[in-house]
Amino acid sequence: MTDTDTSRGPQSDTTLSDAYDVVTKVIENVEQVIVGHHTEIEHILTAMLGRGHVLLEDVPGVGKTMLARAVAASFDGSFKRIQFTPDLLPADVTGVNVYNQQSERFDFQPGPIFANVVLGDEVNRAPPKTQSALLEAMEEEQVTVDGDTRDVPTPFTVIATQNTVEQNRTYDLPIAELDRFIKKLHLGYPDAADESDMLERVVGNHPIETLSPVASLDEFRRAQATASNATIEAPLRDYTTRLARYTREHGQLGVSPRGSISLLRAAQGRAILDNRDYVIPDDVRTEATVVMPHRIRTDRSDQTGSDLVQQALDTVPIEE
Amino acid sequence: MSRSNRQSGRRIRSLFDGADTTRAAALVAVGATLGTALQILYHFIDVVGLPSRFLLLVALSMIAATVLARVLRPRIAVAIGTVLLAAGLWWYLQQLSGAAQFGALINDTLALLTGNSLLRISNIRAWALGVTPGPVFLTWYFAVRRRYGIAIAVAGGTLGFLVLTGDADLMTTLSGVIAGTAGLGFGDFDRRREPIVDAETILVIAALMIVVPSVVTVVPATAGASLEISGSSGADTVEASLLQSGDQLSVQGSISLSPAVRFTVTSTESRYWRIGSFDRYTGDGWIRTTDSRQYDGGQLQRPRGPNRIVDQTFRAETSAQVMPAAWKPISVSGNSGTLVDGDGSLDTSATITNGTSYQVTSAVPTVSPAKLNETGQSYPRRIEDRYTQLPESTPDRVTRRTDRLTRNARTPYETAATVEQWLESNREYSLAVDRPAGSIADAFLFEMEAGYCTYYATTMVTMLRTQDIPARLAVGYTPGERVDEDRWVVRGLDAHAWVEVYFEKYGWVTFDPTPASDRGSVEQDRIETARERNMTNVDTGETGGEEWTSTPTVTPEPLTNSSGANGSTSSTSTPPGGGQPTPPPGAIRGDGSNQTLIETNTSDTATGGSGTDPSRSLPSRQETALGLLALVGTVIGARRSHLGQRAYRAVWLRYQPRDGPQTDVERAFQRLLYALGERHERSRRPDETVREYFDAVDADERAREVGAIRERARYSGSVDEADADRAVRLVNELVR
Repeated sequence: MTDTDTSRGPQSDTTLSDAYDVVTKVIENVEQVIVGHHTEIEHILTAMLGRGHVLLEDVPGVGKTMLARAVAASFDGSFKRIQFTPDLLPADVTGVNVYNQQSERFDFQPGPIFANVVLGDEVNRAPPKTQSALLEAMEEEQVTVDGDTRDVPTPFTVIATQNTVEQNRTYDLPIAELDRFIKKLHLGYPDAADESDMLERVVGNHPIETLSPVASLDEFRRAQATASNATIEAPLRDYTTRLARYTREHGQLGVSPRGSISLLRAAQGRAILDNRDYVIPDDVRTEATVVMPHRIRTDRSDQTGSDLVQQALDTVPIEE
Repeated sequence: MSRSNRQSGRRIRSLFDGADTTRAAALVAVGATLGTALQILYHFIDVVGLPSRFLLLVALSMIAATVLARVLRPRIAVAIGTVLLAAGLWWYLQQLSGAAQFGALINDTLALLTGNSLLRISNIRAWALGVTPGPVFLTWYFAVRRRYGIAIAVAGGTLGFLVLTGDADLMTTLSGVIAGTAGLGFGDFDRRREPIVDAETILVIAALMIVVPSVVTVVPATAGASLEISGSSGADTVEASLLQSGDQLSVQGSISLSPAVRFTVTSTESRYWRIGSFDRYTGDGWIRTTDSRQYDGGQLQRPRGPNRIVDQTFRAETSAQVMPAAWKPISVSGNSGTLVDGDGSLDTSATITNGTSYQVTSAVPTVSPAKLNETGQSYPRRIEDRYTQLPESTPDRVTRRTDRLTRNARTPYETAATVEQWLESNREYSLAVDRPAGSIADAFLFEMEAGYCTYYATTMVTMLRTQDIPARLAVGYTPGERVDEDRWVVRGLDAHAWVEVYFEKYGWVTFDPTPASDRGSVEQDRIETARERNMTNVDTGETGGEEWTSTPTVTPEPLTNSSGANGSTSSTSTPPGGGQPTPPPGAIRGDGSNQTLIETNTSDTATGGSGTDPSRSLPSRQETALGLLALVGTVIGARRSHLGQRAYRAVWLRYQPRDGPQTDVERAFQRLLYALGERHERSRRPDETVREYFDAVDADERAREVGAIRERARYSGSVDEADADRAVRLVNELVR
């Protein structure tokens, strides 16, 4: 994408450029650790700017944990990892009230959900009740334990993975719940050169150990605010609507209004990444490929959600 | 139109389903081709009256063809059509008064094919009625059976015959050809069952066929043969106006126009030097239907009433193909090629060369108006039939006006005198007139305020015929300039048309409704103009000085009022028998075979037969149709070739009006997109973002900047004058 003159806009120059700085610095930082996944890193950052959560669907061992940790470390955020297992209980996620004999009252022991970046590994292995504890936290940005409601920290991003290798004894997330992830990504294997590069870097002293933050939590929160203020004009809203309607008309289950909202939020993050405080169709199109497919159920077995989205992008006119 | 009732319902329901619309279009086109031919035949019928039977015949033929198309095999249908045609011609022969020979028919037909107008056929009505059913039946039969090629061939063949006879004018022929082309095209689409919307190329072709010839003939040199969609194109200069007195021009034939001297006449008396007459009025012209015969040197019939002998010697001053003589010639010497026309006038089969002379002895009728005033209306039937004919299309108001004008006239003579006088005093003499579209007489009576002799004479004949008084149009020269007691110099501009009225017992009597003094002065002006310009051949050795005195100048005094006191010198008459048969070569070309009409056509009758065609009477409707067709075809063609759009784009691309910043930026951007699309032959696809497109065509920085400004204007809603200025300026740079 080419540079554009973005000195004008509803927000002050500093807000936008600050946000842009934060995001670019974070990406740069993360790339010191993660090799060959620039696109995916950008996607995760735009998702976080849009206050969304990401579903990673991948084979094990491609660096998901490292990615999540690196992102969290880059803006000085906390990181927690939850390994979902069939016997994991909701309390294991959210935390429990523990009786403190000294003070003679229950103290809350926060679960791993209380972190800026939470990696939920193999969420489909946990029973639905436990899954829903996670999903509630994602949706509401708060956790209820024994009737007490507690906010999770901001920024708050869940990066969940699904085990697609061992299909027995798993509880696949229903589409209604997949909808709560702003986007679904595949990391995939790095290519040969990248992998070799990666091996050179990480074997021995893993750089993640020495990765230092490049931005503060506060700065990241302001970047999020900037993104949420990015201008979305009517032509763009119309285009988004047309895309969503196309998937509804041509699939068994199309993109919901929540999906459209998610798309625009992701597109706002994308705009910041391009140093703009307004969203253009290019943003929407870039994000649509990852925001839409997992919300779609096609009516043909030979057609995936991605196919339908691509079809929509190729068919729906951008300007009417 | 072609199916039974049971199917017509379905037909209507499926009217817009492609195949049937195409079929309808094909049938309409075939019908139009046939219509052009029928229209000419209709005109024939119309000239002699009672067209209703003709229409009925056409309708019956078409109905029969429609019905039989479902039953008959083509071979039988062809047989039926042939039989119909043969029977029609046989019937026509039966209708002829004399004993008709088959050989005569073939001769006639051959003569027709070499350019003789069908209107010369004496029983044109029988001919048209007889000939019509066969081709109509065959055309429609094959059209209904979807054999459009054959149908067009039959209809086109009919039209082609009429073209060969010279009865189909350019406009009609063109219409027929275009309709035929369209019929073939639509028919082809119909047979292939393709929807009509794909057939718009046919319209484009039709438009080309109309537009190209008319544009080509705008080139001055070929204007004579051009297709004048605009109708009358009269020039208004004096000389051109003289040209427009087409009768005179055509009367003189190759002698062309103008003040040039034609004859020097030595005569004992000043007379109208008559050349010939016309009997059949077509509404817009005149046809002679009589034949001429060789003069055998004997004495011709004298007029019936009192008469006296006048001897004349005509010396041709240019080569001439006409033989003027005072009415009524009874003997001729000095020209071996002399012909005697059906009405008794003289003609020549060979050109009379410059300087040669011939002598004519005429018996000039001297019956007095008083005697004429005593005659009644019991005319010989032959005279009445031939000389009271009027086209059926002559408007009724001509009759009503004449009735009113002549309600006090008790006798034919009074009627004739009244009409003559009324015309003389109520219409201005002018050579500069636009030829009216419809009936000449009607137009001159109700619409025009001025005209020249042909108009006066034609109108008077028409008016008299509405009163059932036999009358005809006579053409020739006025006496000319008197240069000595017994010598007159006749110039081209002395050509004239007047009226002859038939009176019981006395025969033909001359009337001249044209105001003589007006005409004389116009002609005198012309001579003087010509002299000033030093034109050659304006004068003989004798002319140009003082006119010979003691003589009335211009013309013999016509009968101008009903008092009938004197003026016996001007009235003439012929024996009724002389008015009938025998040969008069037409005045125009002088090759014995041709009859022709004297024409009132505006421009140059001299240019050829087509200009003088009787079927000219219907041009406006045709022109409108052709014009519309041309327009539609052109529009489609232009749309197909995106001409209009291109032109608009070209301007739009380069000149941008300013509005608000938002609009300006958008417009500038659209111009840029268009320019890029043209330059790279790849326009932006609807599913492509601007940036993707710019990448695809590798747009330069300026284009990208415009794109960025527009992007901001559109998607951030922030744009100002400076942005707009810059975008417009950049695009201007880029597109120019």
